[in-house]
Amino acid sequence: MIKCKVCGNQEYHGILFCGECGSQLAFAPDQKVNTLVYADQIRGLNMDISNTIPKKLLEERSFILYYSEQEEALDLPVQNEFSIGRLVEGQVIAPDVDLNKYEAYNLGVSRLHVTIRIDPQKNKVFVIDQGSANGTFVNNYEIPANSEVPLNHGDVLTLGKFSLKVILPNEL
Amino acid sequence: MADKTDFYHRLNISTGASEEAIRKAYRLAVRKAHPDVNKNAGATQLFLDIQEAYKVLTDPARKETYDAGRDPAESVPNILTEVEYSQHALLRLEEPQIIYALVDIVATEEERDTSNLPLNISLVVDNSTSMAGARLEIIKAATREIIQDLDEKDLFSLVRFNDFAKVLLPSQSRLQPRQIDSSINNLYAEGGTEIFQGLEAGYQEITKNFTQNYVNHIILITDGHTYGDEDNCLSLAQQAAEEDIGISGLGIGIEWNDAFIDQLCALTGGQSKFVQDLNQVKEFLEQSISALKQTRTRRVTLEIIPAPGVQILSAFRILPEALPLSPQEIYSLGILQKDKPHRVLFEFLVNPIPENIEPAVIASGEFTLKRTGKDFTIPFTLKRDLVAQSEELDPPTDEVIRAISHLTFYRLQEKAQRDIALGNPGTAYQRLMNLSSHLMAKGEGGLAKIAMNEAQYIRSHNNFSPTGKKQLKYGTMHLMLPEKT
Repeated sequence: MIKCKVCGNQEYHGILFCGECGSQLAFAPDQKVNTLVYADQIRGLNMDISNTIPKKLLEERSFILYYSEQEEALDLPVQNEFSIGRLVEGQVIAPDVDLNKYEAYNLGVSRLHVTIRIDPQKNKVFVIDQGSANGTFVNNYEIPANSEVPLNHGDVLTLGKFSLKVILPNEL
Repeated sequence: MADKTDFYHRLNISTGASEEAIRKAYRLAVRKAHPDVNKNAGATQLFLDIQEAYKVLTDPARKETYDAGRDPAESVPNILTEVEYSQHALLRLEEPQIIYALVDIVATEEERDTSNLPLNISLVVDNSTSMAGARLEIIKAATREIIQDLDEKDLFSLVRFNDFAKVLLPSQSRLQPRQIDSSINNLYAEGGTEIFQGLEAGYQEITKNFTQNYVNHIILITDGHTYGDEDNCLSLAQQAAEEDIGISGLGIGIEWNDAFIDQLCALTGGQSKFVQDLNQVKEFLEQSISALKQTRTRRVTLEIIPAPGVQILSAFRILPEALPLSPQEIYSLGILQKDKPHRVLFEFLVNPIPENIEPAVIASGEFTLKRTGKDFTIPFTLKRDLVAQSEELDPPTDEVIRAISHLTFYRLQEKAQRDIALGNPGTAYQRLMNLSSHLMAKGEGGLAKIAMNEAQYIRSHNNFSPTGKKQLKYGTMHLMLPEKT
């Protein structure tokens, strides 16, 4: 038997597509798996993200920022510390995550807005406001600049007016 | 099965082909097989094989030598068969495995120059009360048009049915305009829907003038469920199939019983279609008639017997029209069009193969063609060599992947229907969302949207919407046709 990497269904050898979720099992072209996660796999969230987050992401990452407006997860680098902001031409220090594609300017995101620090040993995630112009909010409470604030699963992190849902797949 | 060692098969021509025809076929074959164009594994070999065949067959001396040594039993006039597998070999496994085969039967180029068989058609129209108004008016107009397009020899009859059937126009050729008008005007709506009544009257009309030199076909148009006479209908369809009479069905609106009409038509190898837009009625009738006109073969049957330890899990006709087939030994495929092959996708479950067996036979079978004056059979064997590691397998051709991926789509919507029947709307919702994203990835935005909307509908209603259910089913079925035009 072979196992579908997306939904875990078992199929006979020779089957080319998973009969349960339709994903290609063999000879698949090298492309992103875009099959979605089943609803019962998303627990403890007061929202339905089940159709928009690839399961692979939930399995491989310990921290996801989800943009509900456009129903997609931000493309975050695989490292324990990274900055989020808005890239402007001529900027000296570029943010690791550039939010320009989400109309970040209109939503009041600064060039270097926050830093995210992940502590894998303690399984904790912190946000540090980098002295942004329009402030950073966790669950609508403004946080002080330049100090670490812990993020929990299900929190809403707002940069200016740009709101993101914090998902910690380990907590699911 | 196309024997690729045979030079004529390599070029897709029959033994009697002229030099001109050989050159033409060569150019066509080379264009498809050239390694610059065809990126499939084995394309280079295919290209070389075609070259070799062409060189021999265009050299009169070498051709003569070749023809003399060739097995004459191979040659059925103008018809070829071909098989493509999902894997070039089976795996040596301790557990069962799956292999797919695309089995084709196709007319060669030369068949196109031969004359067509005349038609013996019966149009059977549901005139129950629900057909009143636009539906019947459109059908009346379309009927007038198709009658105009008939040839002198073609036979036509018109039957209406509700709880009873009435022959409005008895089977005849060379219809007079006044007859046509008065009979079509008698298509007014009343009563219920008993399909058997209509089918039987249509069948009687066909058999009245039945000859083997005609293409005999019933076209059924209905918008409703039939009540309690399904079994009679199916056994009549079975009988019709045995007598080389085909049945095609058109369902209008959303009330009609699609599974039943599919089954009815599949028994004879006919097609079944669903239209929402009434303007498609005319298109359906025109296409049906023009397809029926494109043949010299009244009926093709495909008999297939799985080898011991092998099971046919599913069969799906892909060409000329997509239609699920219920697994059985003999499939009635209907007429063989000159310009379109019959293509059936089989899914086989192969149990572990004993060590001393190589190659392993998956199934054997034969096509039988009912041609004017004579029947032909073309036997074939499906077999594969064995390899130890799945890494040794080449990827299947794009065509095979495409067929199987679309079969998977069809199955997903089928499974979603089953989820609903079993009371699991949540699973059905997920399945349709997945279907939607796969469809989107394949560039089928329209159908992806329908799947998405249907998923949303299920979330709020715990059931399919009547329209969406049929749209998805026929939409995914239609995807299987290789090139939509």
